Amino acid sequence: MTKLVEGFISNRIRAHRFLNGEMSQAELGQRIGLTRQTIAAIEAGKYSPTLETAFRIAQVFNVPLSEVFRWDTKPTT
Amino acid sequence: MPYREKVAWLSLAAILVTYGPYFTLIATGIVPTRPFPDFRQLALFGATTFVQLVILGTGRLILAVSTPREDRTPPDERDLAISRLSTVSAYNLLIGGMILVGVIMPFTSRGWDIVHAALFTIIASEVIRFGVTVFSYRRQA
Repeated sequence: MTKLVEGFISNRIRAHRFLNGEMSQAELGQRIGLTRQTIAAIEAGKYSPTLETAFRIAQVFNVPLSEVFRWDTKPTT
Repeated sequence: MPYREKVAWLSLAAILVTYGPYFTLIATGIVPTRPFPDFRQLALFGATTFVQLVILGTGRLILAVSTPREDRTPPDERDLAISRLSTVSAYNLLIGGMILVGVIMPFTSRGWDIVHAALFTIIASEVIRFGVTVFSYRRQA
């Protein structure tokens, strides 16, 4: 049986919110049609957004997708 | 706590405090069944459903008043994903239960046993639906 490639999605949403004038989770959520709780879940890595939402988040911060989301193979400390 | 999680907790609690005692009474035989129409059984079921609706109605009213309008937004993609997961989980139980009730039980049981088994399947699938919903919100909180 083929072993799946292991990894997880990490993100830098918190850092980008800070760089964008300490944008609140609620404000980010409003701009892309998500609730504050969903933004919090994404930020904490407990919910993986759809690709479309990931692109929207990157668009809000005006950066490429890879600046916000990354595929990691090892947990970072 | 998201508004939808509060609603799921309320729905779960309303089922547990009404149908929990209902099925306990049925299972222990405290309310014996008679051939249809058994008005005592029907009254018990009617009262249980009425109390559940009162709890749900009152609870939803309190939630609507106490939750800010901005927190009562349309469901987003995470809400819909949780809803899909909980509905699929409940459906699997419901379909299994209905096969038991509709295909097997008519040959092994009769009357109120079949009715109660069908009701139990429906209520259990609702418990699963709301249970999976609150579990999913908690896990991702």
